[in-house]
Amino acid sequence: MKPDTPYLWVIGGSAGSFTPLREALLKLPYDPDTSIVLCLHRLKHARFQITDAFLRIKGWKLCEPDDKTPIQGGFIYIAPADYHLLIEREGYFSLSVEDPVHFSRPSIDVTMISTVQAVWPRAGGILLSGANKDGAQGLFQMYQAGYFTAVQDPADAEVPHMPNAALALFKPHCKFFIATLSSLLAQKPILN
Amino acid sequence: MQEEVLPEIAEADLEAFFQIMHSVYGFDFRDYARASVLRRLGTILKKYGLPDMRALNQRLLKQREFFETFLNEFRIGATELFRDPTAWVALRKQVLPLFVATPQIRVWHAGASTGEEVLSLAILLTEAGLYSRAQIYATDIDPRTLAIAPRARYPLRHKRLYMENFQQVLPDVPFSKYVHDEGNEMVFNPSLLENVRFLRHNLVSDEPFSRFELILCRNVLIYFTPELQDRVIRKFIRALVPGGVLMIGTKESLFWCKEAEKILVPINNLERLYRRQA
Repeated sequence: MKPDTPYLWVIGGSAGSFTPLREALLKLPYDPDTSIVLCLHRLKHARFQITDAFLRIKGWKLCEPDDKTPIQGGFIYIAPADYHLLIEREGYFSLSVEDPVHFSRPSIDVTMISTVQAVWPRAGGILLSGANKDGAQGLFQMYQAGYFTAVQDPADAEVPHMPNAALALFKPHCKFFIATLSSLLAQKPILN
Repeated sequence: MQEEVLPEIAEADLEAFFQIMHSVYGFDFRDYARASVLRRLGTILKKYGLPDMRALNQRLLKQREFFETFLNEFRIGATELFRDPTAWVALRKQVLPLFVATPQIRVWHAGASTGEEVLSLAILLTEAGLYSRAQIYATDIDPRTLAIAPRARYPLRHKRLYMENFQQVLPDVPFSKYVHDEGNEMVFNPSLLENVRFLRHNLVSDEPFSRFELILCRNVLIYFTPELQDRVIRKFIRALVPGGVLMIGTKESLFWCKEAEKILVPINNLERLYRRQA
């Protein structure tokens, strides 16, 4: 892996996460050394719609990656509809059309576990509001591998099922209210 | 429901696996994208109750007949009729008209999987009045292709999705023109497969067996490393006649193939349709 490997935030969410996430990203100062990977449950054939909704975030470049797109700092990547998005240790994304996990493709578990398997040197995982338990296992594996992990406080989540599923497995480093997400993302995630 | 707790895989055992695949079975998986390989292997270990990668390697060494089962699981080919409908609309409107005056349309469908996209193409060729001039070679390394695809029968539970895709691509044609229900299956007209030959072919190690007017290879490249993608795309370039067309998956790209820049010109960049320069 190259020395200029960006810091990586892997963020998972589904129902109830889009609008607050967008608001948090709008407030986030541009950082050329960090890439943000959004794995959000979205409908099939909804090509570009989420990308449109996230457009005009100051400074950041938005990208729905193709297969083997290099991972670069200063980018916000959005997992394409109907593909799993995996992180490769060589520093690019892979896509996959394997079966959905927890009825979801993209699946948050798949992206987070691939981050662990890629042994990405500096990454953190965040789980937001959502209606199923996809992401809980992936975030747990990030935690076990020593990555920084954070879960939206279920009391604050529009749909608390996803954060609750993670909290049932382990105690993350941080439980946060969505209003503080942008300041959390402005920190650099470091492998413990 | 699939749980995502997958066994860990040691580097040395992974190397041993690649060795066995190569020297015992003649399959080279070393240039498959690693994240997917690890995922597939983890899933297989769990499904067959194998404690670790070493146990799988032992089984592959000792039980030759297990290999076919293994390959079924390893080479995933999730597909559907007219997956990515807009790409098929582009093929229908922008590509098929190029072949109106072509006496013989040889098609290579590489990575045909369970055959739904072979039927998709056959339907479009039929509607364009080109089917009788077409010869379609549908290949895959997966033996399931040869078992499932020629039956042209699929579970009825997919009908709604297939029908929705179909109607997006061919809004004026009734789905029932090509498909009828039989028990819990939908059955496609056998005439769609009259000019199709299913062959086992390894995209990585085998050479192309003819030259083609049209090559389809969708959602296969995503399982390869950039280096292997480059090799395979160059193979396609050599196999295309001048003016021939390549269709890849809508999230795949020619980014890693330098040679493609000069030779493959986009017909539709968004839908990933390219034409070989004359």
